[in-house]
Amino acid sequence: MSNKTWLVARREFIENMRTKAFWIGILAVPILIAASVIVPMWLEKAKDVRKYAVIDRSGWLLKAIEDRSKEPDFEKVLKKLFEAQSDPKIAEKDEHVRALLDKLDKDLGSLKAEKELKNEALEGFAKSLTENAELKDSMAKQAGAFYQELGTPEGQSVLAMLPEKAKEAVTRMRSAMVEWWRELPDDLSREYQDQSSRGRYERVEAAGTSDADLEALNKQISEEKLFAYFVINEDPVMNSDGCKYVSRNLTDKDLQNWFESAATGLVQEKRLEKKSIDRVTADWLKARTEFEEKQLSKDGTEKEVGKEDAIKQYAPMAFVYLLWIAIFSITQMLLTNTIEEKSNRILEVLLSSVSPLELMIGKIAGIAVTGLTTIVTWVISFIAIVKFIPMMMGKTSVDLTVIANDPLYLASFILYFLGGYLFFAALFVGIGSVCNSVKEASNLMMPVSILLMVPLFAMMPIVKDPNGSLAKFLSYIPPFTPFVMMNRAAGPPEPWEYAVTGVLLFVSIVLVTWGAAKVFRIGVLMTGKAPTPKEIVRWLKAPVGHVPHRD
Amino acid sequence: MTDALVLDNVTKRFGEKVAVNQISMRIPRGAVYGFLGKNGAGKTTTIRMIMSILYPDEGTISILGQPNAESLKDRLGYLPEEKGLYKKMKAAEILAYFGVLKGLDDAVANERARHLLTKYGLGENIDSRCESLSKGMGQKVQILGTIIHDPELVILDEPFSGLDPVNVEVMREIILDMKRSGKTVIFSTHIMAQAEQLCDYVLIIDKGHKIVDGSIAQVRGGGNSGIQLDYDGDGSVLHGLPGVSRVNDAGKHAELSLAPDADPQEILARLVGKIAIRRFDIREPSLHEVFVRAVGGDARE
Repeated sequence: MSNKTWLVARREFIENMRTKAFWIGILAVPILIAASVIVPMWLEKAKDVRKYAVIDRSGWLLKAIEDRSKEPDFEKVLKKLFEAQSDPKIAEKDEHVRALLDKLDKDLGSLKAEKELKNEALEGFAKSLTENAELKDSMAKQAGAFYQELGTPEGQSVLAMLPEKAKEAVTRMRSAMVEWWRELPDDLSREYQDQSSRGRYERVEAAGTSDADLEALNKQISEEKLFAYFVINEDPVMNSDGCKYVSRNLTDKDLQNWFESAATGLVQEKRLEKKSIDRVTADWLKARTEFEEKQLSKDGTEKEVGKEDAIKQYAPMAFVYLLWIAIFSITQMLLTNTIEEKSNRILEVLLSSVSPLELMIGKIAGIAVTGLTTIVTWVISFIAIVKFIPMMMGKTSVDLTVIANDPLYLASFILYFLGGYLFFAALFVGIGSVCNSVKEASNLMMPVSILLMVPLFAMMPIVKDPNGSLAKFLSYIPPFTPFVMMNRAAGPPEPWEYAVTGVLLFVSIVLVTWGAAKVFRIGVLMTGKAPTPKEIVRWLKAPVGHVPHRD
Repeated sequence: MTDALVLDNVTKRFGEKVAVNQISMRIPRGAVYGFLGKNGAGKTTTIRMIMSILYPDEGTISILGQPNAESLKDRLGYLPEEKGLYKKMKAAEILAYFGVLKGLDDAVANERARHLLTKYGLGENIDSRCESLSKGMGQKVQILGTIIHDPELVILDEPFSGLDPVNVEVMREIILDMKRSGKTVIFSTHIMAQAEQLCDYVLIIDKGHKIVDGSIAQVRGGGNSGIQLDYDGDGSVLHGLPGVSRVNDAGKHAELSLAPDADPQEILARLVGKIAIRRFDIREPSLHEVFVRAVGGDARE
């Protein structure tokens, strides 16, 4: 790059940095990302603790619900324990998990040491633990149910069958887990018990079960001292006639859902007991026929599908959108900029100091730096937001670290921005150089704009089938390459596909730039109506310095 | 020392149209040289070829001893006919930008920009954005932009157009300052009075052809003499006088072109008594007259 090209680029960059649009563009995306992570968390935290009362005519259900809500979902705790044991990083990062590991370490050891556990669930669990294998979902469920059941009379009989040492270990583990969970901060506790009531709902005592007491509760609700109250009928095991939920706010169903599902679980247990159906049989009866999702990777190994995979699958869409917006807002800037310089008549002054090629390359480069500044800021702030917000504010509902940690996504984003920009920048600067007004340019832009819609229309089909024939076909059309290849990141395409489409894109960037330079050289000095496509073709053929005759 | 600029049979065609037809001329160093011609006569095309923005189809150009301006852009100053500035940049900034594009250091360019703006009456506008400058001020900034790097040769396309009288004076001052420091100045204009006062040499061009070139004295001497007349009264008597080939009547002032065999005394005798004559001056024709005679039609477009 010659010195003068650099000077043109520098001016272009500095001038763009002074515009409001630049700062809005550079800040909008990080603010949006941060807001989308923070706002739901705030809303969650901003919720008041809801006060509710329960009139329990059954005499047992409320107590059972309260007891149950004091325990974590053992299945989840065990899963976490397993993860932390096989991946030391998890424990390193999370002091609570570390504490849990420490607490259970000894008892886990004795479980592992025991040869005969005489319990299927426990044996499977211990076996997975010993072999350091993956804890299967079904296994975790069984082990979780086992610990859960220890709190009930049947659980005690199961416990009695275990070997002596295991008995102690299991009992200690259970109380350690409960104790550990109770000490967790409210928002973390929810990770180990869905819809945990902790920190969200608070029960106040109802005076009694009479009608007068109901009246009193109604009054409290209308005075907004109470959010809601429940009435449990005399025999909820028989049916739920007469069970009531009373509140002024019927749009927020969280409290109702939580209480209902807790009650349903306990009532079902009672019903099983009544009909002398043992829990194992009941679970077996209720069990759905589930097909476990596995993704077959390229090397032929099966992989379990998690939430992360879904994020990875759909994240390219967000990137394609951003890429599209970034490329077109920045090339639009180049276009209006060029037209402005032309209608401003400043171009000829510049041409007395720099050559048209230097000027054009300088402009493209200056705006490229402007765009890259924006894009790189987006990427850095994205990583920062994804990594630091959970650190400062606790767990987020959507965990985007899988994207932030994947160099394929972020690197493609930056590189394809550059590639796409260079292609369209050359095209637009050529168009800009022959137009005297933005209005004139919009006529010439029509076919280009229609072309540009293609990657957007193709976005959804490509996300669903990143290596399908549509995706593959569009990858090889240079104006679409950046969008489509970004779109396919979840696939991901083969390295040779990246190479071939990359070379094609590069060659077409060179060609378009060469053509743009020829048009630019003539176009910038031309006044009057915009040239027809036929004329432009003639310009492309014209030797340097020759200004073709205009009809 | 070579001439600042030599054109040898330069021709430029746009399709069928011949914009510049076999023009030859030489401009000595240190001269102030005027390109005179109507709009569309080929002045701008000639200037663009000199600046290597366009290239001649035939003929050669030698500028400061070089075959084209590409390699010596930094030694040239150029003010195009169509003038513009970046609206959002400040006056001193854009001037400095023009300077660095011509090879100055940032610091030098900044300092000179401020100096020039102050010197030529824009000291208060150093930090004004170009969009807030008046048209005349903007044009002055541009002209300063052509000289900020102290070029050896300055080419100004219509530098006076759109300037108010005060700024016309400033413009003249800039040109004379250049001349005093030994620089060569070429400018195009269709205002003959400007050329007459400023130029050492002129070139009159019409429809792409060179009509005449040379020093002011040569160009004026080449035409027949004429009568400058200041008068009051009915100017219609000026028409149909014997020996008068052309009348250029402005109401209070008229310029009569004389045929070679005309007798000025007879003309004076005919006019006495019909109009009140305040001045009757027999002299060489003005540049304006030469121009009008050569080009035909009204030069004051």
